[in-house]
Parts: sequence; C-alpha cells; structure tokens
Amino acid sequence: MVRTFFIYLAILFAGILFFASMVLFAIPAIQESDLVLPEITISQNETGEAGPSKESLEKDINKLQIKLDKLTPTDAYIIINTSDNHFYLYKGKQLIREGLCSTGKNEKLVSEKGDNTFYTPLGVRRVQRKQPNPVWAKPDWAFIEEGLPIPPPGHSSRFESGTLGAYKLELGNGYMIHGTIYKRFMGLSVTHGCIRLGDEDLEVVYSTMQIGSKVYIY
Amino acid sequence: MKKSGEDFDSLFEKKYSGLKIFVIFFCLILLAFTSVYTYLSIKAVRDRMDLAKTQATSDTSVDPTLIDLMKDKAWVESRLKMASRDSIGLSIDLGQHTIQMELKGVVVMKSRIRDYSTSGFFKRMDGNVYFAMFGSPLTIQKFESSIEKNPFKIVQAPKSAEEAENAVSKKDSVIKENVFWTVKLDRDFELNIQGIDSVSESQSKYKLGKGFEFKRDLKNIVNSFEHILKFKKPTYTPEILISIPENEAKAILRALPRNALVTIRI
Repeated sequence: MVRTFFIYLAILFAGILFFASMVLFAIPAIQESDLVLPEITISQNETGEAGPSKESLEKDINKLQIKLDKLTPTDAYIIINTSDNHFYLYKGKQLIREGLCSTGKNEKLVSEKGDNTFYTPLGVRRVQRKQPNPVWAKPDWAFIEEGLPIPPPGHSSRFESGTLGAYKLELGNGYMIHGTIYKRFMGLSVTHGCIRLGDEDLEVVYSTMQIGSKVYIY
Repeated sequence: MKKSGEDFDSLFEKKYSGLKIFVIFFCLILLAFTSVYTYLSIKAVRDRMDLAKTQATSDTSVDPTLIDLMKDKAWVESRLKMASRDSIGLSIDLGQHTIQMELKGVVVMKSRIRDYSTSGFFKRMDGNVYFAMFGSPLTIQKFESSIEKNPFKIVQAPKSAEEAENAVSKKDSVIKENVFWTVKLDRDFELNIQGIDSVSESQSKYKLGKGFEFKRDLKNIVNSFEHILKFKKPTYTPEILISIPENEAKAILRALPRNALVTIRI
C-alpha cells in the first residue's frame, strides 16, 4: 500500500514536471519552430509599382554614404567616454592619440547656500577658447565643498595658478578641458564637470585642437 | 494480529482512493492547461506575424535579388536620419557584428559583437516586412537595466574645513558589475544587450543565478505562470540579444538617451 502511495506521488510529480517543462522549454521552442513560423510574406498583388533598378540603388547608396561621411570632421576632434574616462583624439578618420582622462563625478552637493550638480554634459561642443598657463578662478562651490567661507568676488583667495595644468580649452558654460595636479585620480569620475587630461596628453590635445574643433562627449 | 493487519490495509486503501482521484483529476487539469496554453502561445505568434504583415503594406515591390542593396540603402538612410538629431543614437549591424554609437553622424564608439541571437520571427520576414520593421530608425520606448542608468550621488556640504578633510570620497569607477539592459522598441520588439567578457564567464553567471539570460528565463517563467493563473492570453515579443564587452555595454547604457533612435541591419 505504501508502494501505491509512492506511485501516486510519482505520477503527481511527473505531471507537474511535464507541465513545467512544457511551459519553460517546449512552448518557447514551439513558438520559434518553422511549424508555427511560416514565411511572413506579402503577395505581389498587395504591392504596387516595380522597385528600383540595381544601378539606381547603387547610385543612391553612394550618394547617401558620401553625405554621411561628410558629417565626420576632416580636421581634429576629440571623443570623450565619460563611462570609462577615456579620450580619443582624431584627425579625420585617423586616431592620433588615446588615453585616460577624468570626467564629472555625477554628484549633487547640497548646502544652505544652494545646490550644485557636478556632471559632464553629453553631446557635441566646440572649443571656444584656448589658453596656456590658466589661472583657476574658484567658483563658490569650491569653497562650499571645502567647508570654507565664501570670499567676495575678485578676492585673491579665489585665484589659483597651476591647478588647471599647463593649458585649458574652454567648451562653454564653464566646462573645460584642462590639466590637473591630482594625477592619481586619472581614469576616475572625480571632476566637477570639466575634462582633466594628463600633462603629455594635454600638450598634444592643445596643439592639435583648434578653436571651433568639435568635442564629442558620451 | 492478522486481522488487525488487514484492517490497516483496508483503511489505507480507503484513504488513498481519494488521493488516486485527486492525482488523476490534477493530471487531467494540467494536461488541459498545457494544451490550451500551447494553443494560445502559438496563436500569439501568429497574431504578431499578422500584425507585421498589416504594417508592411508597401507601395513598391521588393525584388529578392536586390534585397541586400535595399538593406544597404535603408541602413545608410536611417543613420542619416539619426544624424539629424542632436542626441546619441545606436546603430547595430548584425551581419558585420558591429554595434556603434553615433552622434551627429560621427561614430563615437564602435564595439565588436561577441555573440547574438534573434527570434525566429526575424528570420521569416520577406523584404516588405523587413523594411517596415527596419527601414527607418526605431525609437526606444522603455529602458530596463541591471545597473542604474544615470547614477547620481547626493552629498551634504561639509560645515567646516575639518569636516571636509575628514570626508572620505568613494570612487566607484572600478567596481565590477553585472551589466545587462533591455529596451522596448516602438515596433513592438525587444533589444537586449548583455555585457560579457567571455563565454565561460557568462555561463558561470547563469549557474550563479546572475547575468541576463538567467534573469530573462526567470522572468519568462514568472510571466508564464502569471498568465496561466490569471487565465490571460500569452504574449509574444520577438527579441534580439546581443553580447558585447561589459564596459562597452555600460558605456552605451549610460550614454543613450531614454528615447534614443536605433538603426538595425539584419
């Protein structure tokens, strides 16, 4: 009798197993099989005019490809990967230099004096101004972040030499490509939105990129 | 002693006759459910195919001998349309095993697809259906990801210079994560991207109950049982699954806008 009980139990278990395997494996496989998936075609009488010829298609593709290729700048441009903190400097389709950089830390600094968000904006920008030996005019958030009182505008404590490295390339809205004294953070998302490069990379980028050169940030 | 043994057997028999009926009844119900569910699942596929057919009413017929050229044209045309937007778009060429992000027509990131799979649905399309589906850029409608798409940390400003010095900043760029994400596209199919650095890593992730494929299978199981229990008609959503290196999967996820355009060539 105990044997019969176990037989029933086994049948029950097999039934559940069958059902589960059907739902998990068999039905999805059936859904993808040729039996269920006949060719999805539209009969010719449902369609209208004859399509384009091979020659006209090839001509169209060439024209479109040229139009697409023209969108890539022929002069220098830089691509910034904010996820991996990498930069790629190109001239036309040729990669000139690549390396580590540091980009925005994606942080919101909350204080009684107002909130500040630090991130590198994605999209296309252009170099608006280039300057060697830049002096950093510290904005209010730099003092808030350091827990210091905010000095009045133009106060000497607002100006720092060397912090931005040997060069800066302004991208508008306060964002820049510049050097850094914090070299150990290279490759990390630590900045307030600017793009930091190492000394040698910055030298090459500064000499290659001109005013108006594009900066693609993703 | 013998008599009491017989009594016990008869008692046992009586008790389990109910069980016998229950087992038979339960198995029959399972069989019925399975048959109905199978039928409805097949119907869901056919309905999806009918929908694709109705969406593919084209004015010009597609010459099967020129289909590759027409695909080339649609591919470049779609990328040009994407370039007219200011935001980042995604273009995927399964034939060439490439996935790339484009910004204003410039390829800003290109990655080699390690592996991909597509639903049978896509293999059965004729030219008209293909162009209705992939002839122009698709729009992302919904994002789901294993990691936060745009992580943003909120930090309270220190009250003094001493507090600022003591604050330890945590840098998370080197953290190893399981990256996979799914987007629902406007032509009713799903694009799944999973970050894998090697096939063996992907397999071990599956065994550990991590990774995209495990989560997807689990989700499908839950969905199937939910449909059965609620007597709901099963749904069929064709999918494309692409495996690329983990850091690139993460970079694309972070960079793509929520309603980005996607161009696909199969």
